[in-house]
Amino acid sequence: MGGFLARALGQRLALLAVISVVAHAVILLAPGEPSEVDPMNPRLKPEDVARIRAAFHLDAPLHLQYAYWMRDLLSGELRSFKDGQPVLPKIWERFLNSVPIFLLATLIEWCLAFPTGIRAAVRRGSPFDRGSTLLSYALISFPSFFLAYLVIVGLVEAFDVPVIGMRTFGMESAELWYRAMDRVWHLAIPSLLAALTGIAVMSRYVRSQMLEVVAQDYVRTARAKGLPEDQVIYRHALRNALLPFVTMFGLMLPGLIGGSVIIEQIFAWPGLGRLGYDAILSRDFPVILTLNLFAAALTLAGTFLSDLLYAAVDPRIRVR
Amino acid sequence: MATKRVLILAPLVLVAFLLQSWLWVPSYEHQTRGNPGRLEKFVEGSIGDAHFLNPVLSADSAASSILSLVFDPLLDLDENLALRGKLAERWEVTERAYLVVRPEARFPDGSPVTAAALRERLAAALGSEAASIRVLPAERRSERRELPLPGAEGEAAPPVAAELRVRVPERIALELGEVMPDLAERLAPLLGPGYLADFDPAPLVELPDGPAGEALRPEIPALLPALEHNPVLTFHLRRGVRFHDGHELDAGDVRFTYEAFMDPRNVSPRSSDFEPVKAVEGVDSHTVRVVYKRLFSPAVYVWASYGILPEHLLNAEALAREMDRRGIAAEARERFGLREAEFTRSPVGTGPFRFARWESDDMIQLERWGDYFAGPAQYRQYTMRVIPDLVTQELEFRAGALDLYPAQPHQAARYRDDPRYQSFSSTQFGYSYLGYNARSELLADPEVRRALGMAVDVDEIIRYVLYGEGERVSGPFAVTTEWYDRTVAPLPYDPEAARALLAAKGWRPGPDGILEKGGKRFEFTLITNNGNPQRKAIATIAQHAWRRLGIDCRVQLFEWAVFLKDFVNTGKFDAVVLGWSTGIDPDLYQIFHSSQTGPGQLNFTGYVNPEADRLIEAIRLEYDRGRQRELAHRLHRLIAADQPYTFLFAQRGTQVVDRKIVMVERDAEGRERLVPLRPSPTGQLDYWFTRWKKLDHTPDF
Repeated sequence: MGGFLARALGQRLALLAVISVVAHAVILLAPGEPSEVDPMNPRLKPEDVARIRAAFHLDAPLHLQYAYWMRDLLSGELRSFKDGQPVLPKIWERFLNSVPIFLLATLIEWCLAFPTGIRAAVRRGSPFDRGSTLLSYALISFPSFFLAYLVIVGLVEAFDVPVIGMRTFGMESAELWYRAMDRVWHLAIPSLLAALTGIAVMSRYVRSQMLEVVAQDYVRTARAKGLPEDQVIYRHALRNALLPFVTMFGLMLPGLIGGSVIIEQIFAWPGLGRLGYDAILSRDFPVILTLNLFAAALTLAGTFLSDLLYAAVDPRIRVR
Repeated sequence: MATKRVLILAPLVLVAFLLQSWLWVPSYEHQTRGNPGRLEKFVEGSIGDAHFLNPVLSADSAASSILSLVFDPLLDLDENLALRGKLAERWEVTERAYLVVRPEARFPDGSPVTAAALRERLAAALGSEAASIRVLPAERRSERRELPLPGAEGEAAPPVAAELRVRVPERIALELGEVMPDLAERLAPLLGPGYLADFDPAPLVELPDGPAGEALRPEIPALLPALEHNPVLTFHLRRGVRFHDGHELDAGDVRFTYEAFMDPRNVSPRSSDFEPVKAVEGVDSHTVRVVYKRLFSPAVYVWASYGILPEHLLNAEALAREMDRRGIAAEARERFGLREAEFTRSPVGTGPFRFARWESDDMIQLERWGDYFAGPAQYRQYTMRVIPDLVTQELEFRAGALDLYPAQPHQAARYRDDPRYQSFSSTQFGYSYLGYNARSELLADPEVRRALGMAVDVDEIIRYVLYGEGERVSGPFAVTTEWYDRTVAPLPYDPEAARALLAAKGWRPGPDGILEKGGKRFEFTLITNNGNPQRKAIATIAQHAWRRLGIDCRVQLFEWAVFLKDFVNTGKFDAVVLGWSTGIDPDLYQIFHSSQTGPGQLNFTGYVNPEADRLIEAIRLEYDRGRQRELAHRLHRLIAADQPYTFLFAQRGTQVVDRKIVMVERDAEGRERLVPLRPSPTGQLDYWFTRWKKLDHTPDF
C-alpha cells in the first residue's frame, strides 16, 4: 500500500512538473500582451510600454520567466499583473464563492440522476423512458448559455426580480430574513441550472449502466428470491452499476475551476471560472498559469482518488 | 426503500426551499420591499473591474469612474468643457525664459555682448512685461535618462539608463507676466539675426558613449537651447479642503502627487503626461508652482485629469510603517511602491464620496463624504457593480438592481418610448474611420482617397449599422469640443463624382469591369480586427460601395494582437477600419505629426504634410485659447482636405435611468426644488451627479 502511494504520488508530481512547463510555454508564446501593455493607447508612450514589460519580466527568456513564476509562486509573492494582488489569496477567495454552487448543483445532480436513470432503465421503452431520453438530449444539445439567458429573461420579464450576482445590491441595510432569502434566491437559479444539465448527462450514464446490470443473472436470482423490486434494484443492481461513477466522481474535482465558466459569466458570479476567463482576456499571466496548475493538480488528485475508491468498492481490485 | 426515498425527496425539499426565497426578493416597482434604505443608494454597472484605485496607476474606465468620485483634480471642466478651478481656487500662467549670453557675439550696433549689457537692453525692450531680469552664473548640470533602445530585430528590450552632462554657460533669467511663444521674434531686432540661430550647443553637451549617446544626439538642441521657454503654472489651492481622514489638503500633496507619477517604483502608465514638467515647487502651504521644460500648452489639461493624493498616507515614512506592519520581505521592500501599497485598494481622497469597500470582480462601494467642500451629495452610497455582460446589466436594470443602463444602439429607440424609464442620448468622444496607408502607391493621392470616401454612404452606415445612434464627423477632433470646426462639411455621398475623380486620374474600366491604369488593376485589401461586428459591417459596406466604382477590395479580419503586431505597427496594410477615442485637448501630435510614422507609432497611415506639422506644433506652443481654437480649426480643415482617413462618425451613447431619479436644485433663496435630470450642454449625463436623488414614486413634471 505504502509503495503504491509513494509511486502514484511521485509519478503525478513528475507529470505535474511537465504539465507546468508545457502550459507555461504555450500560454506565454500565444500572441497578445497583458492589457496594461496597450500599444494602441495614445497616452502610453514606447518608454512606458518598455518599462512595464521590463517590470513584468516579459522581456526575459522563456526559461527565466518560468523560474520567476515558480520562485514567486512558492514564496507566495506571486502577484496579478492586473491589480497587483497576491494570486494565491485571490484564488482562495474565489474558490470559496464557487463552492456553494458546485456543492448544491452536484448534490442535486447526483441525487436526482440516479432515480431518473434507473427508472428509465427498468421501464425501458415506457413513456417515462422515452420522455426522459428526449428531455435529456434536448438539454444536452441546447447550448447552456442560451438556456441560462432564457431562464433569466423569463424570470425578469415575468416577475421584475433580480437574479444576477451573489445578492441584490442595496440590500445591506435590509432586515436579516430578507437578506438571507435574497442570498438563497440568487444561489438557487444558477445552481438549479447547473444541476439540470448535469442530471441530463448523468441520468444517461445511469440508464445505460443499469440496463447492462439488470440483465445479469444475480438480478434474476434476487427477484426469484421474492425480494421487493426496489430492494432488487437499489441494493443488488445499483451497487454493481456504480463502478464507472467512481471514475466520474474523481474527475468532478477539476470541474470546480472550469465547470462553471459559462454560468458564472452569465450570472456575474465572482467564482473561479470567471477569474480564469477574465485573466485570459487580459493576459494576466500569473493568474492564468497558477489556475492552470491547480486545474492540473486537481485532475491528477481526482484520478488518484478514483484509483483509491476503485479499490474500496471493487473487491476484485487490490492496491499493491 | 430508504435509499430511493432519500435520493428523490432530499433534492426536492432542497429545491422547494431554494425557490420559496422568491417571495422575499424586491422587484423593480417595489425596490423598497423590506429595504427602505434603497432610495439613498445609487447602483451602477460596469463591464470590467477596476485594476487599481489610484490615479497614478489606473488606466481602465471602471477605475476612472470611481476615482472621479473619490479624488478631485486641481482643475476641472465646466459644462462647456472650459477649464475652471476645483481644488485650486484659481491659477495663473506665466513664464520663465532663459537666454544664453554669447560673449563671442556682437549686438547689431557692433558693441560686444556682456551679461550686464544684455540685461540692460532686455529690461529696456520688455519694460513692465518682465517682472525680473537676472544674470545666472555658468553651471554644470547632469541628467539621467531611461532609453527604450530597440533590441535585435526591432523587438522591445528593457530600457537602458544613460547619464549626460551639460555645461550651461552664463544666462539671463527673465520672469514674464505671460507666456510669450513669440519672444524670439520680439528680441530679434535687439539681438541681431544670428544670435539665437547660430548658437551651437553641441560642444557644451557631453553624451555617454555607445548607442545610448547616439540615440540622444538628436536631442542636443533641446538640451540647451539659446532661448529656453519655461512656462509656469501657479495654482492657489482652496483652503479648508479635507481628505476623507480629516487631514487638510496643502501644497505638499500636489508636489507629492507629481512625484508619485514620476517614481520609477510605481511604474505609472501615465508618467509621460508629466514628462514636460521640470519641477513642482511649493511656494507656501496653499500655493504650488509647476515649471515646464518647454512650451507645451496641452500640459495644463493633465491637472484636470488626475486626482491629488494624500502625501501623509503615502510618503516614504507611511510606506515604511505599512511594510513593517505587513512584514514585507527585505528583498521586496526595495520594489515596494504604490502598486503594492494597501492604499491602492482603499484610497483616500478629497472627492464627494469616500471609499468603503471593494470586492474583486463583484463591486466597489463608496459612502457620501459629509465634509465635501462643494456641499455633500444627495445619495448616501454609490456602488459600482461588475457585470461583464451587457444583457445581464440590462436585466438587472429592469429588475431595479441597477439605476442606470447604457443602452446599446439597437435598444435606444425602444427605451426612448418606454414610459417606465427616462433616456438621454449624447455624442461621445472619439470617432471611427477608414484609414488609408499613404505609403501605398495606390492610395498616396489625396484625390483618390477623396473619391474612395465619396463612394461610401456614411449616412447609410449610421442608419443601419448604428441604428441612427451616430453623428457624421469631418475631422480629427471630438465633436463636442470647441476644437472641432462645424463649418467643415463632411464628404458628400456622390459615387458619380467619385467615378469622375478617378477617371480624371487616369483610371479606366478594364475587361472585367475593374479599373485599370497602365496595366495595373485598382485592387487592395481592407483589414480590421476580429470580434467587432460594427467594424466588420463597415468594411463590408465599403467593399460593396467600392466594387460598384470598379475597385477590387478584399476584406480580411485578424485577431486584435495579430492585427496590431503584424499589420498596423509594421505599416504593412492598404486600408483599415479603426477608431480613436479622443481627449479634450487639441493635441494631434501622436496621430498626425510626420515624426510619428515609425514602426509602432500611432501615425501608422504615414500621413505627412509640413503645413499640418507646423499647425500641430503651433497648437502645442499656443497658450491663448482663442488663438488655439483658430489654429485647431485650420488644422481640421487641412486634414479634412487631405483625407488621410475617411472620417465616418462619432457614436452616440444612450443612457437609460430609472424614472424615479430626479435632480435637486436650489433657487436664489436657497429653497430646494426637484427638477428632471438633464445632461450638461456637452452631453455628460452624470455632470450633476451629486445632486441626483431617488424618490419612492415616479414624479410628474
